[in-house]
Amino acid sequence: MRNILRQLIKIPSVSGREERLAAYIAKEMRPYFDTVERDALGNVICRKTGAGKKLLFCAHMDEIGFIVTFIEEDGFLRCAPVGGIDFPAAAYSRVVFESGRSGVLIPEEGTKPKDYKGDAFVVDIGAKSRAEAARLVKIGECFSLEGRLFSLAGSRICGRPLDDKLGCAVLMSAAREADTFQNDVTFVFSVQEEVGLRGARTAAFAAAPDFGIAVDVTLTGDTKGAKPMAVSLGKGAAVKLKDASVICDGYLAKKMASIAEKQKIPSQKEILTSGGSDTAALQLAGAGCRAGCISIPLRYCHSGVETADMRDVQACRDLVCAVAQADFADF
Amino acid sequence: MNQDWTTLSLLETLSCTFGPSGCEDAVADVIRTHVERYCDEILPDSMGGVIAYVRGDGTPLDGPVCPRRLMFSSHMDEVGFMIRSITEEGLLKISSMCGGDTRVLAGRRVWVGNESSQVQGVFGVKPLHLVKSEDRGQAVELEELYIDIGASTREDAEGVVHVGDYGTFASDFVIFGKDKEYIKGKALDDRVGCAILCSALRQIYAAGLRPACDLYFAFTCREELGISGARTAAYKIDPDFAIVLEATAAGDITGTADYRQVAHLGRGGAVSLMDRSTIYDRPFTDWILKAAEEEQIPCQIKQYVSGGNDAGHIHKSRAGVRCAAVSAPARYIHTASNVVAKRDIESMEQLVMAVIRRLCSKKEGRILRCEIS
Repeated sequence: MRNILRQLIKIPSVSGREERLAAYIAKEMRPYFDTVERDALGNVICRKTGAGKKLLFCAHMDEIGFIVTFIEEDGFLRCAPVGGIDFPAAAYSRVVFESGRSGVLIPEEGTKPKDYKGDAFVVDIGAKSRAEAARLVKIGECFSLEGRLFSLAGSRICGRPLDDKLGCAVLMSAAREADTFQNDVTFVFSVQEEVGLRGARTAAFAAAPDFGIAVDVTLTGDTKGAKPMAVSLGKGAAVKLKDASVICDGYLAKKMASIAEKQKIPSQKEILTSGGSDTAALQLAGAGCRAGCISIPLRYCHSGVETADMRDVQACRDLVCAVAQADFADF
Repeated sequence: MNQDWTTLSLLETLSCTFGPSGCEDAVADVIRTHVERYCDEILPDSMGGVIAYVRGDGTPLDGPVCPRRLMFSSHMDEVGFMIRSITEEGLLKISSMCGGDTRVLAGRRVWVGNESSQVQGVFGVKPLHLVKSEDRGQAVELEELYIDIGASTREDAEGVVHVGDYGTFASDFVIFGKDKEYIKGKALDDRVGCAILCSALRQIYAAGLRPACDLYFAFTCREELGISGARTAAYKIDPDFAIVLEATAAGDITGTADYRQVAHLGRGGAVSLMDRSTIYDRPFTDWILKAAEEEQIPCQIKQYVSGGNDAGHIHKSRAGVRCAAVSAPARYIHTASNVVAKRDIESMEQLVMAVIRRLCSKKEGRILRCEIS
């Protein structure tokens, strides 16, 4: 699983620019599914037909980042955030462009941290003039904080972007068990989650599943000064009940919790008070579906040092497989 | 520039027509009358939009991805307001539908009414002599603004207007500046797009063009109020590609930092890469930019991420639609006097026709996208 994650982190995929990652994932998934397709927005849609209920699992490929909007006379770049950038956390960091070129993200001199917003930042790529910069970087090119992955104590890992390449890794690992799935299962690797849950919506419209299950990261309540929240790192897969964008289907949440219990997969309940997920888009697409989410607990989300516990990641993978294998005859 | 350029005279008619969001019927009538002879069919639209359909020749284009249905979209509605109540003194209180920017309202001439008849009025504002010194230089609050239609009692006013009636700026269409290059008027956002699409329909008809894919020209409602018209039109049309023609805020002479100027008048249509509602399909956008380059049609990349348009809903419609957007740079957008450059309109018209001609050609019509290997 760690190897899959390492490969995914290597391929940049700022929202709207998921093309390369999508091509990689599609190629990797082909052996395990009946069909692997791309839709108009660029989602990767993998389907293994089966006799049971129509289940759709969805993890988003895109990561937060930036887009170049303007090149200054003196060679500095102006940019706009793509998704929910935490500017104080991003200041004075190395950034990497789609071409592999490096730059540094710097606030204008004298800007106070409380005024750290998109317009206060420039990127220094080392160019000395507009002409030089324009040869190296094009307007519309995207970049993000340097991707990285390293180990902390025990089973803890740290780096970026774990949101939501962890979810993609969970599905890619679960795909290896696709032969055992009893239901009609679709894995969606979605685009543009970070800018408004856009890809999941069109993918779910086309698939029209009975159950839509997002696989995404969630915040935790176990960091210093955290808002009270009953999710901790290391306590297993979090079954979402509610976040700021969705109230999950009660039957599906209970079903997933009971499957976890029966299979002895560590799990916990999640109620997230801020932030949304593809779950909401799955629920409302087309005529709607019963929606839920298997969440991977993650500390310091959207920073350069997102931190997770591999035991949770493994639990999420096991739960995805168990749900895909489960009998939904009681529904 | 040809003096009898039809697009320009149509734009004048459209600009002067009353059509705030939710009350676009008069604009729809002008457009329907103009385009019905140029298209195969006008499709009904539940929101009040006009959808002009040009049938393709039915043969699929070559290439891994080829469009079956291409949608063009421009919105008919303009910023305006609704009459919320009428005072004892016969003055009209309003609910704003232009982002609540009261700076642009005070002292303005307006039309008030519905799609079939309107009366003149003015936005009353306290003369400077009567303004308390501490309030001078402050924008007037929406609650203090009223429209004076020359009625002295509520009964008088109710004889000509009703609560729920609409209002727009009253503003002449004027061609001005060196070489008569600039156009000033109300509602150029987005009657410019509507005029270009009407012109494209006329040219397709005149040249007897029969594109390989079906074309839908959607003139949509209520864009300024949350893009509701384009959403339903896109659902109905179910296109695989869409091009939105819009007007965008040009900040080129407003004392705005150069990296926030968005677009410049006279440099051609501004092609969007990303705005607050959409990340545009890059291969499709590149294909359009390539067409512009090859045919030497001026166009510019929209710089700065701001605003949104019909594409915000179109691209998320059904199973997804690949979208691009081209906007006329417009100064003083959402005021009584939008200013656009004639040659930008001309460039956008040429670009739309270049796209359509390419869709008539089996070779050029290919819209390539990296396929999964």
